[in-house]
Amino acid sequence: MQTKRTVFPNKLLPYLLLAPQMLVTIVFFLWPAGTAFWQSFLRNDAFGFKTTFVWFANYRRLFADPIYMSAFGNTIVFAVLVTFLSLSISLLLAVAAMRVVRGSRIYSTLLVWPYAVAPAIAGILWWFMFNPSIGIVAYMLRAVGINWNHLVNSTDAMALIVIAATWKQISYNFLFFLAGLQSVPRSLQEAGAIDGAGPVKRFWTIVFPLISPTTFYLMVINIVYAMFDTFGIIHATTQGGPARATEILVYKVYFDGFIGLNLGSSAAQSVILMLIVIGLTAIQFRFVERRVQY
Amino acid sequence: MVENRPFLNFLAHLVLIVGAAVVVFPVYVAFIASTHGGNDFLSGIVPLVPGPHLVENYATMLSAGMTSSGAPPIGPMMINSLVMAVGVAVGKIVISILSAFAIVYFRFPFRTLAFWMIFITLMLPVEVRIVPTFKVVADLGLLNNYGGLIIPLIASATATFLFRQFFLTVPEELMEAARVDGAGPMKFFRDILLPLSTTNIAALFIILFVLGWNQYLWPLLISTDQSLYTVVMGIQRMAAVADAEPRWNLVMAAVILAALPPVLVILAMQRLFVKGLVETEK
Amino acid sequence: MATIDIVDLKKNYGSVPAVRGVSLSVADGELIVLVGPSGCGKSTLLRMIAGLEAVSEGKIEIAGRNVNNAEPAQRDIAMVFQNYALYPHMTVRGNLEYGLKNRGTPRAEIDRRVQEAADILEIGPMLERKPRELSGGQRQRVAMGRAIVREPAAFLFDEPLSNLDAKLRVQMRVEIRRLQRRLKTTSIYVTHDQLEAMTLADRLVVMNGGLVEQIGSPVEVYDRPASLFVAGFIGSPPMNLMPIEIVNGSNGANALGLPVGTDIVGVRPDELSLVEPPEPSIRLDATAELLEPIGGESHLHVRLGESDHTAILSVPGRPDVAEAAKFPVYARVKEMHPFSRETGKRTDVACAL
Repeated sequence: MQTKRTVFPNKLLPYLLLAPQMLVTIVFFLWPAGTAFWQSFLRNDAFGFKTTFVWFANYRRLFADPIYMSAFGNTIVFAVLVTFLSLSISLLLAVAAMRVVRGSRIYSTLLVWPYAVAPAIAGILWWFMFNPSIGIVAYMLRAVGINWNHLVNSTDAMALIVIAATWKQISYNFLFFLAGLQSVPRSLQEAGAIDGAGPVKRFWTIVFPLISPTTFYLMVINIVYAMFDTFGIIHATTQGGPARATEILVYKVYFDGFIGLNLGSSAAQSVILMLIVIGLTAIQFRFVERRVQY
Repeated sequence: MVENRPFLNFLAHLVLIVGAAVVVFPVYVAFIASTHGGNDFLSGIVPLVPGPHLVENYATMLSAGMTSSGAPPIGPMMINSLVMAVGVAVGKIVISILSAFAIVYFRFPFRTLAFWMIFITLMLPVEVRIVPTFKVVADLGLLNNYGGLIIPLIASATATFLFRQFFLTVPEELMEAARVDGAGPMKFFRDILLPLSTTNIAALFIILFVLGWNQYLWPLLISTDQSLYTVVMGIQRMAAVADAEPRWNLVMAAVILAALPPVLVILAMQRLFVKGLVETEK
Repeated sequence: MATIDIVDLKKNYGSVPAVRGVSLSVADGELIVLVGPSGCGKSTLLRMIAGLEAVSEGKIEIAGRNVNNAEPAQRDIAMVFQNYALYPHMTVRGNLEYGLKNRGTPRAEIDRRVQEAADILEIGPMLERKPRELSGGQRQRVAMGRAIVREPAAFLFDEPLSNLDAKLRVQMRVEIRRLQRRLKTTSIYVTHDQLEAMTLADRLVVMNGGLVEQIGSPVEVYDRPASLFVAGFIGSPPMNLMPIEIVNGSNGANALGLPVGTDIVGVRPDELSLVEPPEPSIRLDATAELLEPIGGESHLHVRLGESDHTAILSVPGRPDVAEAAKFPVYARVKEMHPFSRETGKRTDVACAL
């Protein structure tokens, strides 16, 4: 691992400097993670008196539970939709922004600020707009014959949270795509033009492949975002309903752990989520960091 | 853009205008709603222009809140959010810059281990460990106070990595010259390294402030007392009223207030914010 | 007395030796230049003296005190870096003061020294500016100012002029020499430029591959290079090193009065002439390959005899030599430097290293 050519010779000082971060990391990150891991192998009896070590029973039960599996399914659908929609829209906007010479600063400003809005608030905003009785978008949909009701219709509910989550994430993706596009040397585009490729062809055959590290990075980030940072959206709006249609894994961990007080199951779910994140982060570091070698 | 094709320029502008409109629209609607009276919604037709109740609604939310829905006044909640956001941002910056300094400028046993331990926190977002972390905080008696709200969130891998990366680009000779000039490590840190890091610190502060302000799940669990509610989590109580329709005009006023500070911060420091965001990529 | 004594100093990076046993005694007020190609260990040696690299083996003494384990700040040395290493966020004055402030020097004394250094280096008008507003040469002077105000026992220079353009380098070289003479501070100077080394040094230390090839005054090193390496390194254009067969055919070295074991003969380009000299000399048949007029003199590249060996002559003026012309070239025997290919060293050794 890289260090400087010359280092300070102090022996004790580095430990003191690291201590605060190590302390918080161990107490609030590693120890709870370890506890969750341990807890996932236990089951509390109904009265909370006896705990038994049950090996992988909690895990087996989860994977046999149709409710858990449907939450898994919801999560996958949600993550894929949000990632795909959000990346496509942001890429389109970034490409357009690259083309526009005047006013690009204004557009950037207008597109950047949703990053500052909390997911929960984003959820409430769209919840309000799609509200069957007074929402303006619901009103417009009724005018074209669509009766929108996310309180009852599970597809509508899923659509709502997808829209809210996508809306919020556009800024982040837009900024990164913009930075990525700006790093493609202009001379490559000019060479492509001389070689007879029109703008659309140039984009797909030259520019898009060159920004693949950015795209890949954003894909992983968006998936992680959709799986975890969207808790606020769901809790503030659908609360997993109707009929658990919008219950995603991270919400279920909360629900089972804090509301249902099923510690073993919630811990097992936490561990599964942890493994998913570790897997995604590992993929990102291996493939993205390797490509970013120029 | 290589050729000059006016049609594509027009298309680009169109796309951007539509995009900006879609992005801005929800907030516009929310703002309009927040300026109307409570009864304006009952007719089922949604207003599109501002109403007359702007000052009244906002004043109500700031001071009295909607006690009928179990929501405290916004004013104190915003202060809680401010304390939390600033606390998290400052906390993260301080402990990360110290750790990065230790990892880059010293060699000591377990250095690699420490690095990986910090790295692991990237893979443990709070949502993944809520129940056990809650238990730890409860055991430490930190429930329902600022400590419990802030401290568990301040170990950040991204900030540490950002500082580490930046320190690695600082020329070797600066530190060597400082050493020859009689500066020990902490003097070097204070006199040379910190001044050089100000841009990074500022950019990071913006991002972390927004992150801290927008924390939802953690305050939800930790703050059981109304006096400790943060504004982002407090809003949920207003909007998700089970029986009746929430009083949307007031809810929207609260929403605007809750979203305003981080948006203002980002807009005011836009360039710095963008730089910080793109640099924490690595 | 600010002497510096190094005894059998070694530095290993893992199993790779960078410095393989160097001993050197620097007298008070002397300007010693460490010169050699990249990777020869001269910078490593300097940094060990400064305290920026740990010593693997050996001893360093500054002003009679063993400093092996002392921090750089405690060795009473000041360093001028190749990249100047000025603190970018401080003014020039701030840069000059920093070391003194850290040592608790009284304010009045700090101001006096800063003013004095500014006067010597003529950087007075720049005191309140930041480094980024200065040119390369000005920054270099500030870096030297930082060293001067410390009034240390020794100055250490780490290739300070490498980043300057050629003309500025010549100018700064003179300034450094003048400065050092005026302040009479013991100095160790590292460079890879042999011309810089020759003009600055009281004594030269020629290094190669972690070892010292020769220590001596510039004149000594130039007139009597102790090894093939030094012979080829010092002097521009480089000395012509020719196998004995080319020089004297099958007669061998003894016929010329050269010591036993000589199989390479070195002659400086300016000691080969187109005119037969009166003293005993040898004659070589040469074919012209290239003439490089550089102004007042010319470099003539020739091929020797029928072999592939080439030599360079440094001749005055611009002789009219056609390409592929054949003519004799003469070298005086007493200006020949005899070497042994096997030992790499001079064969007529009268003084040891």
